[in-house]
Amino acid sequence: MERQEIVDEIIEVLRTVRTVDPSRLENVTEETDFLTDMNMPSTELINIAAKVEQKFDVEFEDDDIDSLGSTVKDVVDLIIKAKARGVS
Amino acid sequence: MGVPGRKVAVVGMGGVFPGCENLGAFNEKMFTGKSLIREWPAAAVYHKQIRSVVSGYITEEESGLEAIYPTSLSDYPETYIDHRGRVPDINLSTADLGSIWAMTGSLESIKMAGWTNAETESEQTGVVVASGGGGNVISRHAWHAFFEMGKKSRIAGSHTVDRTMSYREAANISCLIKNKGVCESIISACATGLGNIGYAYRLIKFGLQDRVIAGGVEGTALETFIGFDAMQVLSKGFSPAESSRPFDLHRNGFVCSFGAGIVALEEYEMAKARGAKIYAVIDEYFNNSDGDGNMFYPSYEGQRRLWKGLVNGVPGIKPDVVKVHGTATPVGDIIELISVADTLGDEGYHISAPKSQFGHMLGAAGSVEFIAALLMLENQQVLPCINSDTLNPELEGFQMKEGWKGSMKPAEAYRHLIPQETVTKEINQIVCLNYGFGGTNSAMAISKDN
Repeated sequence: MERQEIVDEIIEVLRTVRTVDPSRLENVTEETDFLTDMNMPSTELINIAAKVEQKFDVEFEDDDIDSLGSTVKDVVDLIIKAKARGVS
Repeated sequence: MGVPGRKVAVVGMGGVFPGCENLGAFNEKMFTGKSLIREWPAAAVYHKQIRSVVSGYITEEESGLEAIYPTSLSDYPETYIDHRGRVPDINLSTADLGSIWAMTGSLESIKMAGWTNAETESEQTGVVVASGGGGNVISRHAWHAFFEMGKKSRIAGSHTVDRTMSYREAANISCLIKNKGVCESIISACATGLGNIGYAYRLIKFGLQDRVIAGGVEGTALETFIGFDAMQVLSKGFSPAESSRPFDLHRNGFVCSFGAGIVALEEYEMAKARGAKIYAVIDEYFNNSDGDGNMFYPSYEGQRRLWKGLVNGVPGIKPDVVKVHGTATPVGDIIELISVADTLGDEGYHISAPKSQFGHMLGAAGSVEFIAALLMLENQQVLPCINSDTLNPELEGFQMKEGWKGSMKPAEAYRHLIPQETVTKEINQIVCLNYGFGGTNSAMAISKDN
């Protein structure tokens, strides 16, 4: 799965989060920060992580969740890592 | 203690009522003697597991809301959409159904009160609202995902705490209206609704706040209904509209219902000075406990002491209507009837039991019935006690027990106090009564502003 495909899927997940302003999803890149660029409450990050797990059918390590950054790139990296672990 | 000369006015009200689009529809249906109780499809699905399937329930759709369900937990309302545009998404994300009703009821109350944003957001504005139960709908699915499905704790999202905690309604209202004064909940089972209004009254009367949003809520939850069904205390065997029958000889339990009642209270002189419409003046609030060690059984002595406390605080009290708790349980109604009559005498007032029309809203009962009392003052009409068709011509079992200290008249002797049709008359003062498990009793007297 290409990184951009993952980003697109994450955007689809974000569209289901009512606290995310849809207008902020127009120009999302890997550098977009959920907290500062999307003005998202920090409590929503864990909700997005849980939704991403379901969307991509993966389960993140608790330690990885604990140290998760707040950019789209951080989540993309985590998905790739989890998928790789799932394959091996 | 109260600050001498300081009075408390009711300047606004709002809420969510079964089968009613708004307060106006509630007013119309109540005073034309309609029942708000229906067969509940969500309960009927489980007809083999439960006794009762009637309720004054309110669906999300009826309250202008839509639940959003994630795919993996199909029955879990992850959040809600407010199709009437009243509550922002960020506030909806931290709320269960009842908390949303609390917020919309608060907005209605503030609008009716005419408070400015500066007044609402003041350090002198408080919020005192609660429900009787926990956030059962949210909790059940969250715990099911963890315990039964073996999912990570995060799978139910990060809002399980704020959407289920005991004072979630007050917290959600406060975050929405941004008041800077008190934010608390008073929780006392089925006395919760009146208890919160009573505590709010004291905050103003004691000089601690100038304005308070107060009331009680019970969000529709089959889980809550099941708990009472298990106790075998719910009405059974009647058509929905005939199921809630306070004082009637054939009553066999209460109808478990849901709703929200919120009021805006304000220091009287401040409300008067800004030209606010005053729906009622609160004369006094008094509450106590039975002190007999019994969780469930009503206490005649406890209720007589309740009346004594109220009367002490309102010299010359002469209510035109007594709005009773009147749940339609076999024992409670007649003990309450006799405690009222033994205090006030057998003439000169009417007894109103609004649960006959909408059932028992649990944590919302006291506040929605308080709103019903405000409407009685406003309309100068007594609500009918529908379904009170036959009053017992014989003495109750408890009246024949050794040690009974109350009236030795049967319920039928009080027929003239309990109207079956709406009565139009001059109403200047109403007493509201509510009780709860644990032997907690609450009473409030309100008067028309003259």
